[in-house]
Order: sequence, then structure tokens, then C-alpha cells
Amino acid sequence: MATYNKITPEIAAQLRAVVGERRFFGKDDVDPNYSHDEMPIYGRYMPDAAVDAETTEEVSAIMKICSANKIPVTCRGAGTGLVGGCVPLAGGLVLCTRRMNKILAYDMDNLAVRLQPGVLLKDLAADALTHGLMYPPDPGEKTATVGGNISTNAGGMRAVKYGVTRDYVLALTVVLADGRVIELGKSVCKTSSGYSLLHLMIGSEGTLGIITEMTMKLIPSPICDVSCLVPFRDVESCIKFVPKIKLANLDPQSIEFMDADIVASSAAFTGSPIFPERVKNEDVGASVLVTFVGSGEDELDQKMIRLGRIAKEADALDVLVVATSSNKKSVWAARSGFLTAIEADTKLIDEMDVVVPVDKIPAFLIHIRSLGEENGIRIRNFGHAGDGNLHIYCCSDDLEEDEFKRRVKIIMDKAYAKCAELEGQVSGEHSIGHAKMVYLRESVGEDVFGLMGEIKKVFDPDCILNPGKVCDVSLTGREGRRQPC
Amino acid sequence: MLKILVCVKQIPDVDLVKMDPETGNLIRTGVPTLTNPLDLNALEAAVQVKERLGGRITLITMGPPTAESTLRECLAVGGDEAVLISGRPFGGADTLSTSYAIVKAADMKGKFDLIFCGKESLDGATGQMASQLAERFNASQISCCCGIEEVKDGKIRAARTLETGIELVEATLPCLITVEKDKFCGRLPSLDNYLAAKKAPITVFTENDIDGLDLQKIGVPGSGTIVPKIYPPELPEPGQIIRTGSVRTDVARLMELLAGKAAL
Repeated sequence: MATYNKITPEIAAQLRAVVGERRFFGKDDVDPNYSHDEMPIYGRYMPDAAVDAETTEEVSAIMKICSANKIPVTCRGAGTGLVGGCVPLAGGLVLCTRRMNKILAYDMDNLAVRLQPGVLLKDLAADALTHGLMYPPDPGEKTATVGGNISTNAGGMRAVKYGVTRDYVLALTVVLADGRVIELGKSVCKTSSGYSLLHLMIGSEGTLGIITEMTMKLIPSPICDVSCLVPFRDVESCIKFVPKIKLANLDPQSIEFMDADIVASSAAFTGSPIFPERVKNEDVGASVLVTFVGSGEDELDQKMIRLGRIAKEADALDVLVVATSSNKKSVWAARSGFLTAIEADTKLIDEMDVVVPVDKIPAFLIHIRSLGEENGIRIRNFGHAGDGNLHIYCCSDDLEEDEFKRRVKIIMDKAYAKCAELEGQVSGEHSIGHAKMVYLRESVGEDVFGLMGEIKKVFDPDCILNPGKVCDVSLTGREGRRQPC
Repeated sequence: MLKILVCVKQIPDVDLVKMDPETGNLIRTGVPTLTNPLDLNALEAAVQVKERLGGRITLITMGPPTAESTLRECLAVGGDEAVLISGRPFGGADTLSTSYAIVKAADMKGKFDLIFCGKESLDGATGQMASQLAERFNASQISCCCGIEEVKDGKIRAARTLETGIELVEATLPCLITVEKDKFCGRLPSLDNYLAAKKAPITVFTENDIDGLDLQKIGVPGSGTIVPKIYPPELPEPGQIIRTGSVRTDVARLMELLAGKAAL
């Protein structure tokens, strides 16, 4: 079991000397929000102190101090995670990257940008556009930091065409647990040069090192885009349509799935029923929202015509076009607001972010629905149909927290087991944090889980980096882990 | 068969329009255009009437040739034919001369039973067009309409949203209607209609094509108002964010500032 030291006044003074008085926060001055991420249901844990770092050198100096004194360090970006990843389970120091928010330089010849980890996703996306470039990953939470996106290997809606965050990381500057600074990767298109520690670092949730600078790949911004909403009578026929879109060689940018329940929640929340609940006098059971990009209107029209043809063969109720700027704004605002709509409708939520083979989506959703009914829990879901990544939310409604948690645990245990049975993975893009560690262990098995733990020890022998997350069982048994505050 | 006219307007994307600080003019060059959203609510109301009772929807707008895209957008969601009034003499029109031109052009298409329009445009936002059109069409007018119950025997029964509740009214045809946006949310066009609308013919009326058009009543000469100057509103003093790094110091600093402004 891991044991850690407290931040003494002497250690605090050393940390203050690194970042200055104004960027060091003692116990009484730490922002209370640092005790949780977007899912406080997984527990609140306050750190003993926090610092706002601004440079790689500062992070290195901080890690040297913490390593020498065995102080746990939890790195935090915008705190928008959903699995308790940035929560300081063992107390210690929260190292916040929010002030490391500079876009440093564009490399227009190699289509790359160098930036600090605290840059927000929305700011990078907007800034890249002013250079005629696009940052393809498009996770729903636009106020997340890019560093956080790398740490969780965030995906998003455009993953169908462009891939996920991992595919856009060219190089990283990383501070190791002992304060050493290493460079991983280069601004090149390919590499076959030994073990990829770069890719090991991506998705490691701050457990192997702290990312302090990165070089990300960009692409030329598409000239135009159009989306089509394809409504179906039921979930099954809707999902069966997804591989047909791919097989038709339509190369969609995204294929988003929404069922009737989430559409109703969204309409109630926004007051704008942009997604129809009835089409041609029939109830819509589920829809896919398909987006195409291209170099001109004619190209997009041709893709839509082909989509219309296969939609008709698949017995779709219609194909609706989202072409005007107003409709695009409304549709994507509603789609991006699904989670907010769910949260607005209930006291507490718990969530899962599984990814299953696309053809298994209906089977999984049917199972989830029956689990919800059996346990008296209202379930809402939506997801990225194109890659099988589903976001499932359990809503507490009027249940007391303890009872809600009890019932949700039953649902989660069975749902993750079903996910494994269907050859799925625990998380598509939200990661593991501490909330999903037990399910990761069950999913990958003891050998793989053990190897992960061994790798963690190589990078961080004293387990001071983000303790208790992903595969770090050093806090198990609660000996090193404090009670939630 | 009901003859329905829907008046629409292409506007610059008001979120993107900036003002030239020197001249006070709006910089519209390069700014994307869109269909006035409130006109789309009016169109939705008209389409719902057509779906329930039958009818034919004529769309009409006045503007530069680019306004054609607005008409095609509206054709895609339920319009049957479209009229664009376009030509230099129409330029610089205020609501008085615009309403005159629209009524004269609409007369070329016959008499209408129902006329729908947005209650205002998001760029000009005068809110005058509906009443001026009703007057010129010699039509009754129902504003703030939140539901149309019946159109029969030369009359329309409709519900209006009031601050105190819902009012049921009856009016004789022709009737001009402006609608509550929340009650008539626009729809997405189906692919077939979207593609057909791209190729649909659009009637373009220049000043020479409209019977009995008095050139002194259109464009600048026909306008009753002059806009001598446009200027931005005075911005309030920007707020100040206190972030010293310590909550205690933040609060102390806030107290100092409030005391300095005699707010305590």
C-alpha cells in the first residue's frame, strides 16, 4: 500500500519558490472544485495544496520537490473529465495546467501546431481555422483542455473519418515523476523507431508523466459540409444502416446515433424540437445524423443522393437535409447539448462510455434498457454510431443518492459484463480514472492489468503521479486513500 | 384552394456583422447571409395550414440576386413557387417602400387568402412590415399567433398569445398573420425537396415587370424615413476580474474596491 508524506510548511515554501506566491494555493485557498471533475458522484477529494504551473521548467522543479518528498501529484486541466481522473484521491498536490494555455507556433509547411497543454479544445479549433486549418478531433466537451484530451485519448464525433486524438499527436514534451524532461515523437508523418513511448503516454491519464508541450497534426479545413438526418422506425433498423453508409464509400465525417428518448429530452431542454419525433405520420424510433465534407456543393449533392438511395433501401422514413447555417447551428447545438439536457432533467447521473462492435449496438442497448427497467432506473443514451461508442447515462430522478448508487452498481456490473460478452471495451473516449478501474481489470484480465501496473512502476516507482488511477492499485484497501470529503 | 403568401427576407448573419468605426456603416462584405429566422417560423405556420387544409404557398422577397438562395431554402420546406423582386431602383428602401413593392408584385400573382410574415427581421428589427402589408393588402391582421384552428367560409379562427393568457380570435380573409416562434419551429427539408428546390424556377420581377408600379414609391424616393447615422451603443464599463491567487486576498481586494465606490 502506498504511503505518502504531507506537504509541510518547508515543502510548501519550496513550491512557492518555484511558482511564486500568487500561483501557490495552500489548503485553505484551494479552489473547492479541485476536489471533483464533472462526476462528483464518484467522490470529492481535496488536495493539500495546488499550483498553477506556466512552464516545463516549473513542472520539472515541482516534480523534483514532490518526488524527493514523496508527495502525490495529480495533474488537472479544465476538470471536465467524467471518470474522476483528475481527482486527488491521495490528497497531496494538484498541478493545474490552466495557465499553460498558449498556442506557440504553426508550422504551415508540415501542417502542425505547437502548443501548451492548457489550451482549450474550442480555442485550438477556432485558431486553427483562422489559418485555414482544422484540428480534426471533435470531442463533445469543447471547454476541455487539449492536454486533457491527449491524456484521455478523447475521440468525438469526427472519429469515423479522422480518427481520435492519438492520431493527431506528433510529439510531446513530458516531465517524468522524478522531474526529468523527455521529448517523445517528432514532427514527422511516420516512424518505426523502437517502442512508442509517445503512444504509451497518450491516454495514460497523468499516471506516467505530465505533458507540458505538444505538437499536434492539422489538416486543411474542408471547404464545405452538409449533414443529413436519417430517421427510422426503430433502433435496430437504424443501426443496421450504419455499415451500409460505410460500404457505400460515402466517407462520412461523422455518424451520430440518437434514439427517441434523448431527442425528447433535448427538445424539452432546448425548447427547439429540431430533431423530429414524427416523420410522415410515423413515430421516429431512432435516427442517425450523417455529416459529409467536400470541396464543393455538387460533390456533397452526389453523396446525399447516394445516401438517399441506400436509406430508401434500408426502409428509412426519410432523409432530412441540414444545409443552412441556421439549421447547422441548431442541430449541432442540440446534439452537443445532449449531456446537458440529461443533467438538467435529474439530480444525479452515472455514466458509461463503452465501445462495442457497431453491429452489436442494438443488442447492447436492448440489454441496457431491460437493466434500467428491472432496477427502476431511467436510462438515456446517445453515441457515435459510426464507431460503436455509446454514452449511457443512468438518471437518479427522485431517488436518494445511496439508493441510486446501489441500483446503479447492479446495472453497471451487468452492463460491463455484457459489453465484454459482446467483445467491447470499457471506455471509448472517457477513459478509466478511478471510477472504472475495476471494470478495466475485469475486461483486460489479470495478465494485461498486471503488465500495465509494471509499466506504471517503471515510470513512477513511488506511485506519486495521479495515484489510484487506471491500473494503480496502490490505494486499494483505502490505506493510502482518504475518505471522500 | 387556399392561396397563401409568405414574405421572407435574406439578412446578413447578424452575429458576424461589424460596424465601421469611422463611417458608422455596417460592413456586410463577405458576411454570410441567412434567411430571417422569424420568417421561417411564419413559413412553418403556412406549411402546417397547407398540410391540413390544402393550398398553394407563394414565397416572395425583395433583395439582391443572392436572395434567391433564401427562396430556394423556403421552397425546400414547403413553398410551391417563388418571386424575387430585384433591381437597383428598389435599393435603399425602408419599410414603407418595401411594403409597397411587395404588394404590387404579389398582385401580379393574384389575390391571397392568407399572408404570413415574420414579426420582424433580425437585422432591421423595425417590426413595421407586417402592419404595413396588412394595410396595403386591405387584410385583417392577427399578431402573436400561436395556433390556427380553422380557415373556413372566408374566415380564420386563431389563437394569440397574450401576457395574461391565450386569446381566441376570428378574422375575415384575407388575413395577415405573424406567429410566435416557439409554436412554429421550422423543419428540416427532405432530401427530395431540397434537391428539387435547387432546380425550381424562380420568378424575378424587376421594376419593369410589375404592372402599375410607381417608381416614386419604391427604393429611396419612396421611403418615408432617412437614416442619417448609425452608431453603436455606448458600452458599459468593462468588469474587473480579481484573481490574486488567494481567495482571502481576492475578498479583501473586492472589499477595498466596493468601499472606494461607496457601495458599502
